Amino acid sequence: MMSMSDSIIVLEKVNKWFGPAHVLRDIDLSVGFGEVVVVAGPSGSGKSTMCRTINRLETINSGAIRVNGQPLPEEGKELANLRSEVGMVFQQFNLFSHLSILDNVALGPLKVRKQSKAEAGERARWLLDRVGIGDQAQKYPAQLSGGQQQRAAIARALAMDPKVILFDEPTSALDPEMINEVLDVIGKLAEDGMTMLVVTHEMGFARQVADRVVFMDAGQIVEQAPPEIFFTRPETARARDFLAKILK
Amino acid sequence: MNEIIEVLPTLLRSFGTTLELALLSTIASLLVGTVVAIMRVAPIPPLRWAGTAYVHFVRNTPITIIFFIIVFGLPQVGVIFSFFWFAVLVLTLYTGTFVAETVRAGIQAIPAGQIEAARSIGLSFTQVIRYVVLPQALRSVVPPLATVLIALLKNTSVASAFGVAEAINSMTNLVNVHSTVVLGIMGATGFAYISLALLLGRAFAWLERTVAIVR
Amino acid sequence: MTTANLFDQPGPKAARRITLFTIGAVVLIAIVVAYAVMELAARGQFDAARWSPLTNPKLILFLLQGLLNTLGAAAVSLVLALVMGIGLAIGRLSDVRFVRGPCVVIVELARAAPVLLSMLFLFLAFPLAFHIDLSAFWTVVLALTLYNGAAIAEIVRAGVLTLPSGQQEAAYAIGLRWWPTMRLVLLPQALRVMLPGLIGQLIVLIKDSALGFIVGYQELAAQAQSAALLFNNPLQTYVVVGLVFVLLNSALSWVSTYVSGRQVGADSRDQAITTVGLEPEAAAALRALDVERRMGR
Repeated sequence: MMSMSDSIIVLEKVNKWFGPAHVLRDIDLSVGFGEVVVVAGPSGSGKSTMCRTINRLETINSGAIRVNGQPLPEEGKELANLRSEVGMVFQQFNLFSHLSILDNVALGPLKVRKQSKAEAGERARWLLDRVGIGDQAQKYPAQLSGGQQQRAAIARALAMDPKVILFDEPTSALDPEMINEVLDVIGKLAEDGMTMLVVTHEMGFARQVADRVVFMDAGQIVEQAPPEIFFTRPETARARDFLAKILK
Repeated sequence: MNEIIEVLPTLLRSFGTTLELALLSTIASLLVGTVVAIMRVAPIPPLRWAGTAYVHFVRNTPITIIFFIIVFGLPQVGVIFSFFWFAVLVLTLYTGTFVAETVRAGIQAIPAGQIEAARSIGLSFTQVIRYVVLPQALRSVVPPLATVLIALLKNTSVASAFGVAEAINSMTNLVNVHSTVVLGIMGATGFAYISLALLLGRAFAWLERTVAIVR
Repeated sequence: MTTANLFDQPGPKAARRITLFTIGAVVLIAIVVAYAVMELAARGQFDAARWSPLTNPKLILFLLQGLLNTLGAAAVSLVLALVMGIGLAIGRLSDVRFVRGPCVVIVELARAAPVLLSMLFLFLAFPLAFHIDLSAFWTVVLALTLYNGAAIAEIVRAGVLTLPSGQQEAAYAIGLRWWPTMRLVLLPQALRVMLPGLIGQLIVLIKDSALGFIVGYQELAAQAQSAALLFNNPLQTYVVVGLVFVLLNSALSWVSTYVSGRQVGADSRDQAITTVGLEPEAAAALRALDVERRMGR
């Protein structure tokens, strides 16, 4: 059992309603330093919503969220500061379409961390190399494939030197042949020790890379276990059903 | 033919008034329209309602009626400007609604995900507007704005019925005096308007190309 | 399910600020309105003498006559403009360059000329140069038709061009030639999609018909002018007439929105399937199905 001080992210009794729908029910979750947590579950289970509450893109109705030991700020500079420490990679990439991917990656360091153009640019180039698209630096997002765009988005998240990166279904919008190039990049990040929360349907990836699998269904965390256990000896019936459908 | 050539300088000078009218109204309506667009997306409900009411009422009214209200109604409450400035006011109020809708559409056309991404790397609200929203919104409003401003140019013609000595007014006077060359005079006027419209269209097409984002 | 906005969900400080500004805005607007009302009252703009003419049934009838003329001109122009517009659109989409070229020129010229200019041309040039005396009605209608015909031509052309290209390919594939394809496949679909745009053009027609007063056509604006001069209540008359136009055009706008909403519902099967948020296998399967559907199977 991890002590609170080791956890980068703590969700305590988090509840959220969308109108009458109870989309997050009594969520208790913690992510430790250096951990890779994969969140899996059927569509509509609330995994994305939960992920988005961590950097307050979604608000919660009750419960507490702590990031890096501090309660999640509700607004203003503190929230912006927190967000600069928590990276996020979106399903739809969400690259800024009016900027080259180099400028996309450099924007944060330039405007938020107030680095010089040279510094930010150099680091951006290095990061794009690291994710394998350094030669595309001057291209605009629309000129790149989905896999390349997502890798650029990962580089953009890395540029802020985050303590933890949230991945909200990073490969769900990709054509099948590009999924692996992105999963490889994420896997490498895990190897390098980045703390990550990954919402995904890619069970093969989960099996290989995750330290812990969190299974959600209908707004609740139903089961949590290391992958070896989760995939071979799931405890709950719902988890078993889910795995049966997904893994055939 | 000689008569037409005699008459041309007068006609051309009146286009000067047309262009003055158009230019002043353009600047004013761009300002008004942008402010109203911001009002319509602001998180403050009364501002949103006021903006929406203004746009809704003015858009659905003929510009002729707005001219009547301003030129004949305002003096009743002691507000008196020259016919020229009344015309600028009317054209600004009318065109402002179309500018407002165009700018608002430009803002709302930006994929919401990009704004989320901008916030999630820690950019402040002002920074999000400055570095992500405005650059894209401004680029996407250029084509529809061209249509709106060309329409403004054509709408200046209505001012002729409300005391402004612009091109149509001048043309009508000239035709009444030189009725034998009515076709020539009207042809010249039409040619001038069409040339101006095409010129503006070209200018905007150039502007669009210059600021285009690779999509 | 998740919604994204220009603004974050406000925290407590921001919520307080919004409430403050809301109250401030309401107060400001109230002050402005109150001041305006006071000024108007002080200058006798609320006097019965200025408003009672508007309740006079004879005047109401007079104005209604004008409204009828407005609607009449707009309706006839719409029909003629539709004919002209569809014809020009077909011309612009033709395979034959000799047909396409002139159509492009006509559309561009007709759109670039101010409606008032066309109206005055018919009003002044026709009698003076061609010795034809058009009635005020036809002066207005023909001028409106010229401009709006070109505008409709562009709407129709856009409507046809946004049809899935598979429609034309499929038609050609079963052996239809250019005109039957237009007539049986492309135009009917394009016209349905364009209905909201056409209603919008009707609104433009109604507004532009108000220029008719300049050439002596007794539509609503002309009647308003006569009434305002007679009763010396320009502000009241023109504002009320303005409101009539707003009501009329708002109703048409509503119809337009309703029609386009229904289109979305009725044709939702014809629209591209979105695969966001689905399991990847399901998404891939649906995409494959969609490709098949687009290929006409």
